[in-house]
Order: sequence, then structure tokens, then C-alpha cells
Amino acid sequence: MLKWLFRGLRHGIVTTGYPARPERAPTGYRGRIAVLRPDDAPESVASLCPTAAIRVEDGRISLDRGRCILCGACVTNAPERFAFEADYETAVRRRSALVLGEEAPTVLEELLPTLGDRSWTLRRSIHIRHVDAGSDGAEEWEIQALTNPYYDMQRLGLYFTLAPRHADVLLVTGGVTHSMRDPLLRTYEVMPEPKAVIAVGTDACSGGFSATTGEVAGGVDQVLPVDVYVPGSPPAPIAILHGLLLAVGVVAREAAA
Amino acid sequence: MSAEEMAREDPLLGALQGTAAVEEEHGRAPVRQFQVPPDELARATTYLLGKDGHFAGIFRSECDDSLRALVALRGELVILHAPLDGARSYPSLSRVTPAALFAERELHDVSGVVPLDHPQLEPALRPNADALERVVTGPETFVIPYGPIRSGVFEAIQFPIDTGGEDILALSVRPYFKRRNLEARFKDLDHEHGAYLAERIAGTEGVAQALAFAQAVESVAGVDPPRLAQRWRAVHAELERIANHLDVGIKLAEDAALSVGVARFGALKEEVMRLRARLCGNRFGRGVVIPGGIRDEPLLSAAEVRRAVDSFENDLRRDRSLLLATASFTDRLIGSGSLDGEAVTRYGGVGPIARACSLGIDARLERPYDAYGRLGFRIARATSGDAMARFDVRLEEIDQSLHVVRQALERIGGESAALRHPLADSSGEGYGWAEAPSGEVIYWLALEGGRLQEAHIVSPSLRNWPLLSESYRGDVLTDVSFIEHSFGLTPAGADR
Repeated sequence: MLKWLFRGLRHGIVTTGYPARPERAPTGYRGRIAVLRPDDAPESVASLCPTAAIRVEDGRISLDRGRCILCGACVTNAPERFAFEADYETAVRRRSALVLGEEAPTVLEELLPTLGDRSWTLRRSIHIRHVDAGSDGAEEWEIQALTNPYYDMQRLGLYFTLAPRHADVLLVTGGVTHSMRDPLLRTYEVMPEPKAVIAVGTDACSGGFSATTGEVAGGVDQVLPVDVYVPGSPPAPIAILHGLLLAVGVVAREAAA
Repeated sequence: MSAEEMAREDPLLGALQGTAAVEEEHGRAPVRQFQVPPDELARATTYLLGKDGHFAGIFRSECDDSLRALVALRGELVILHAPLDGARSYPSLSRVTPAALFAERELHDVSGVVPLDHPQLEPALRPNADALERVVTGPETFVIPYGPIRSGVFEAIQFPIDTGGEDILALSVRPYFKRRNLEARFKDLDHEHGAYLAERIAGTEGVAQALAFAQAVESVAGVDPPRLAQRWRAVHAELERIANHLDVGIKLAEDAALSVGVARFGALKEEVMRLRARLCGNRFGRGVVIPGGIRDEPLLSAAEVRRAVDSFENDLRRDRSLLLATASFTDRLIGSGSLDGEAVTRYGGVGPIARACSLGIDARLERPYDAYGRLGFRIARATSGDAMARFDVRLEEIDQSLHVVRQALERIGGESAALRHPLADSSGEGYGWAEAPSGEVIYWLALEGGRLQEAHIVSPSLRNWPLLSESYRGDVLTDVSFIEHSFGLTPAGADR
């Protein structure tokens, strides 16, 4: 055991300072898509996207980051219009905030208060339960990575719990398949109030590739009220951490448009 | 040449002719396709299994209304192609090999074609978490529905465990909780979009999935990717293997409540994931492999990757020797979840699970693709077939992967060669495969004018899951997570 201790100490501190200090993504990281030239677009631009995240109306491009799987087909085939941005902080609290270039909705979506606003005690010790409702498996890796020394989410008072009855936050991955719908709902129902739901990954935000196969509900918000959306296929650990802190109310800054 | 002469020249063909099998034209070695009447499928399969064949899968292709059964032999992939001509049933293969059990249930659910005399044909694809069947009945025994939501950040799958309290009396596997029907989603995609879908079938093995997909398209188009692209593909595929094997290490250390081990292996895996992100912009190597080559110029030079690999290996050596010297860890693995080579062969098991039972199965060597024919490495093997053997195999494979990565990098110079050959809008059908971290994944594709008509995937998870039910002899409830994690399978691969 002592050897393990020294092995750990020898390695020094690798943990990120996020959110107190910003965490920069490496050069060329494909965190999200930016639209460089939204105007004068031919209809054919929409067909570049395999998951219908790009729409063209009256020559103007709108991009739904909740559907975008970050494959880069648009960047490769229309580099004059689309580019990758090396951003980690991609989480938002409203689904509509993921859609770029569309008129703001006339009826404002209801914004759920953060956990911190609902109960002051829920700022420093948050227990998290994860449910896989049809992911491709990558999101689970990135969520689990939050406990490794590079992210060490326990330092922020965030802990995984096995018991949904002890959980404050529900992290859901996948677009919600037929078989996972009931287990997911039951998990949510037994969680005590106040509670928050985070949709982790593009599949959880919209269904992604599986949205049209008839096997998934097409996103967690089709089944449960969602507090925070973390798009990405899969989102990086820092993006998921951003989503968690947003839900708790420790961080207020959502992803910029 | 007469049929008799051909039979003498080629014993395989000869014997299959005894079952009315006829060899069909197929584009690329080492794939051979034989046409067989559906009634003869079981007999032909039995023959191939007798030749040391590994049953890989069976599916129905819609475009020509036929069945295709895949059997992997040493050095070649044999396809039994059985046109149905409107028939809605055929004699089940599950009677001759248990490896066909899941594949035939799936085939039945999807197409309605009935494998006659299948022992268990109730619908499988939309399981109900509450509808549990007891395998062992008797007083004082009960079944624990472990899953689909389990203790930790894990993918959804259910393992009903029959127990009297501590001993495992039976361990069942119920996949498909997260089935997304993504095979059907390939229809009408072009091959670039198809590659993006392939890498999201099983996200943790996405590079291997995209590789198998790309080889299938390339076999239809008759195009080989440029050598430079083949080498970069190998680098990405081996980094993916290393990350997956380290992930197994994290999970096993966690099961043994060895927190420092979890932290150290977690840090090692993170180093690999970050290297992948610096190399291509994505932590899972997505958007790299596309039919015809690789998509973009790598963001790091071969020398930079080499330096990162060296520093990683340094760290790995120390942590690994510490882990293997920690008795509280190794004691839990030794003797847990034992399998023998006979069971693995019977179920058509692949990957580290098969290699831990001293079976030398590895698609990279048996049917080399891309650069692997020109890169030297050893098949990692162990003999005892338990969780420890599987972990030993993985550790050895990490070494071999590093060796492959270094060789590939050495051959990547500063040259500005092409990374991608253009593909014509070809039509036809083709097979492609790749050795994923958990075993071989195989794609069958039908293309029409460059667009995908149909796709079927033979997944290593589905081939290996049934072995879990063969592995628990004498083990107790607390061993279940060790056994499962030592298998290192991703449910998404089976639940495609």
C-alpha cells in the first residue's frame, strides 16, 4: 500500500483548476460547430448533415447543436461556411439555446431554477445517479472519467451514488429506448425533491442518429423534464462537469451562441 | 475441371459440395462464399465447425431475400449464402451450435423468418426489465435482476442471477435493452456518412467499427487506401485498444476497492484519451477513418506521437508492476470466471476472452487488413482461462499495441503523400473486418451507386455474451462484477 502512496505522490498534481480557472481544449479539438457564413446558402447545404442538424430556410442556415454529432461532414465539404471550435463549455439550460440562427421562440421555455436556488444546502454536496437509456457507450467513459485525477469531481462536492433515493442529479445518456423508458422513469420518480435531470450527449438531447429509427423516444426531454443539456458525441469530461455545475447553480455561464 | 477434380484440389469445396454447396464469385480473398439451399445450411455449418471453424453469425439480407451464415476458418472467412426464394423458415443452426442462439432470435425478430426447432424463440429485441424467468427452480432459491440499471456508471444490460443467497446457481445474460436499430439507419447514406454512423454503433470501439465498415466499402469499390493512411489507421486502432484495456484495469481495480489503482489506471487512460484528442481533435478517434483512407491531416507529427507514447509507457510499467504485486487485487481475479477453450470454440467466442484460453484467434494476423500484414507483433495468450488470464492477455496486448504503433510511426515520414483515394460510386456487396479491443467485428454491406442499401454487423459483444453464462462455476455473487469486467464487452456493440 505504501508503494501505491509514493507512486501517487511522485506523479504530482495533474488536476484541473476548473471552474475556478478556465480549462483550455487542445488545439484542433472538435468541441462544437460554428457557422461562419449563414446567409445565401443553397438548399443543398442541409444535406451535408447526416442527422438533420442543419436547416436552410430562405437561404439562411440554422444549426441545431442538440442534433449535431460533430462528425464534421459540413466542415469537410463546406469549409467556407462551417468550422470546428475548440470549446469545452457547451452545456445550456434551454433546449432552444442549442439552436443557432433561428428566431427566438415567441413563448419562452420555462427555465427550471437551479438546485442551488431550490435548496441552499444543495451547493456543496451533490449526489449523482447515472442511467444509460441507449447511448453508444462513449458517454459512460466520459462521465466515469470525472473521477480520475485529472478532473477529480469530488473536490467540488460532486459524488456518484448507487441509490437513486440518495441522488440529487440524474445524468441520462442515450435517446431513451423502449426497454429503458420504464426503468428510467422509475429511477426519476424515487429520487427526492429537489432534483435535476441532465441530458448528456447528443443522443440524449435529440436521439442523434437513432432519432429516426423508431426505437428511441428522441431525447430525454420527451420523457422527463430536463434541466441541462450537454450536447456532444460524446461531450468531453469538462463539458459534462460544466453541465453539472450549471444544474447546481455553482456556474451561471451557459455556452455562448 | 470436373467437380471431382475440384473436390480433390480443394477439400473444403469438395466436402461442401456433398451438401450441395456451390462456390460463388466473390471479389476479394480471403472471403469465400458458397451457395447452399436453406435446408442444407445446418449440415454445411456442422462441416465447417468440424474444420476448426468459429461460427460468427447469421443474418437475412433483404435485398436478395437470402440468409448468410458466417464461419471464420484459419485464414479465411467462409460465407454460406442461402437464397430463401420466398421461404419463411429454415432448419435452425442453434441445434448444431449454441453460437447461433442470439443471432437467430434477432433474425427472427427483425425479418419474421423462422429458424425451425430453435430452443428459445420468444422476442428478444425489446426486453422487459421486470419479466424475469427463473433458470433454477426450487425452495430457497431466488433470482436477482442485476440490471438494466446497475451499480455504477455502466451501460444498460441485465444479468439475472439465480442464487440461494451467496452461490451463483445460474447467470443469464439479457442484452438489447438499448437496441437502437442502427443497422437499418445505414440505408441510403453515402459512404462518408456511413462511416460516421459506424463509429457510433459501439462508441468505445468506434475506430474498429469504422475500419470494418471502410474495408467493406473498399472491397466493393476495389480500392486500397494509401499506405500512409493505413499506418495512421493502425495508430488510431491500437490507441483505442490500449484505452479499452486500461478501462478494464480501472473497473477491476474498482471492484477490488483498490482506489489508488483506480486513480493511477484512470490517469493512464486519460493520458491516452488526451493523446487521441491532440492527434485528431476527438478523444475517441472519430472522424478519422473513412472509406478510401483517412479524412484529415493528423494534427501531430509522427515524432510527437512517438514522444507521447514513450512517456506513457514509462508510467504504465511502474503502475502495472505495482498492481500485479497487490495481492488484494490478484486474489480476486485468480480462478474467477473460468472458461475453457472448448466452450469458447463452441460459442464462437473471440478477442481477449478466446486468447486467454490459449486460442490464437486474432483477425489482424489471421486475415491481415490494412498495414497489419507488414507490421510485426505477437498474439498475446494465456492458458488458465480465468479473469486473471484475461487481464494478463490485455496487459500483454497493450505492449504489443505500443510495439505496433511504434513500427507504424517509424514508417510515417515527412512525405506529403495522399491520405485518401477517391472512391467511384460503385455497386455490389462486400465484407470488411477489424480486430476490435473485444474481438473481431465484421460488416456486410450492399451498395447501389455509392449509396448504402443494407448493412449487417457481426458484433464481438454478441458473440461473447453467452460465455458469461458458462463462466461462473463455483463463484459467488461478489465475483459477478469481476467476471463481467474481465470480459470487457460493450453492450452497445450487441445492442446496435
